Amino acid sequence: MEILKVENLYKSFVGTEDVVTGVSFQINEGEVVALIGPSGSGKSTLLRCLTLLETIDQGSIFVAGEPMVTTSPAGVVTYAPDTALRKIRLRIGMVFQNFNLFPHFSVLRNITEAPIRVAGMAPAEAEALAHQLLAKIGLTDKADAYPYQLSGGQCQRVAIARALAMKPDILFFDEPTSALDPELTGEVLKVIRNLAAEQMTMMVVTHEMAFAREVADRVIFMDKGQIVEEGTPETLFGTPTNARTRTFLGNYNLNSGS
Amino acid sequence: MLIIEYIAPLMKQVILLGTGALTTLRIFFLTLLFSLPLGLLIALARMSPRKWLSAPVKLFILIMRGTPLILQLIFFYFAPAAILPEGLRFTLPRFSAAVLAFSLNYAAYFAEIYRGGIESIPQGQYEAAAVLGFTKSQTFFRIILPQVIKRILPPVSNEVITLVKDSALITVLGISELFRVARNEANRLFSTTPLFIAGLFYLFMNWIVTKVFDAAEKKLSYYR
Repeated sequence: MEILKVENLYKSFVGTEDVVTGVSFQINEGEVVALIGPSGSGKSTLLRCLTLLETIDQGSIFVAGEPMVTTSPAGVVTYAPDTALRKIRLRIGMVFQNFNLFPHFSVLRNITEAPIRVAGMAPAEAEALAHQLLAKIGLTDKADAYPYQLSGGQCQRVAIARALAMKPDILFFDEPTSALDPELTGEVLKVIRNLAAEQMTMMVVTHEMAFAREVADRVIFMDKGQIVEEGTPETLFGTPTNARTRTFLGNYNLNSGS
Repeated sequence: MLIIEYIAPLMKQVILLGTGALTTLRIFFLTLLFSLPLGLLIALARMSPRKWLSAPVKLFILIMRGTPLILQLIFFYFAPAAILPEGLRFTLPRFSAAVLAFSLNYAAYFAEIYRGGIESIPQGQYEAAAVLGFTKSQTFFRIILPQVIKRILPPVSNEVITLVKDSALITVLGISELFRVARNEANRLFSTTPLFIAGLFYLFMNWIVTKVFDAAEKKLSYYR
């Protein structure tokens, strides 16, 4: 079953290169998709459109079959009404590059606040869920800590738990390890890897090629706002057909020294 | 015997000044009561993308910060009777005019402090809240405002300390607050002692203000 369907999505801003020009793809339930490409290729903008942080210029987005936004043949963009959008929001989670934890809340409250206030979960139930999630990310002993007391890797794991607490159908990651040093990257990737093993549907914007190759079911390569090539990690990393993909992966291998 | 002769009139003065200080405190608390929430509304209006809302508020802030408070006191007391059309003229009681002028003036300053605080909160906080499904008002009151309050405590404490001292300006409306009482006593006794005692009163009040803000900062120091 498809969780996400994107058709012919366009988004541009005044004064920035990071645009999306006609992107279509879909993600099925349980699939892990890695989105790779050079900086300014539109990956982050695409993710921000899919998570309703930006409004699109053209195109359609469906989440679990429900229209989030559609464009008529005449080119009129229509977002779903607020009540429907609120429901769709609950289906999608997002993990940011800079974690964006709430500094004034404890780790536990960072995780429970949205389930209680937004999803209407009973506080006791939300706390039980939060403790489960903390066990999952290996931070059981940090429930009462505040974000400033955590390392970057721990913060990002909490941010993942916070997103998971809303039980999303699909979880988006925007370069989840780019703000971390290599030492801390591993612990975050491990959490994502475990989620993949549990069939969590995910779309990960990443520069970690080895990780993309290992965890993703499918890899999408974007450049200049368009999807240049997509396929299984084996084909995309092993035998890329497009010249731009080859150049990008070639540069990457040189830069990362592997 | 001699000591009592010296102490007794001093005590009398302190008690007299104390009654003046009560008026000062009334002005102080009423001003905070009105200006702190009003400042937040003004800040939000000032940051509104709607020009019809932000433009007049900007002008208001300019006027309130750009003219002397003592002039504003005089204005709110005398202007309604002087410039309004016949039939609509009125005069506020002195004390109310003073509270009005102080509240509007301090609200303008607080508004700019709030604005600075609100704008210093990273965009990522709003985005994280939006993605989790918080409404705009939940985001503001539960996520943004608590962080703003922590950040603006030092500049707010500055303003509050200034307010204690600025309260002396209402003497211009003939209200018997601390400074006026002290000056009257000084004139009557032909001595500067009452003025210096008044100084100690101001100092004491601001010592308490400082303590309160220290405690508040400490209470909010559980996170960074």
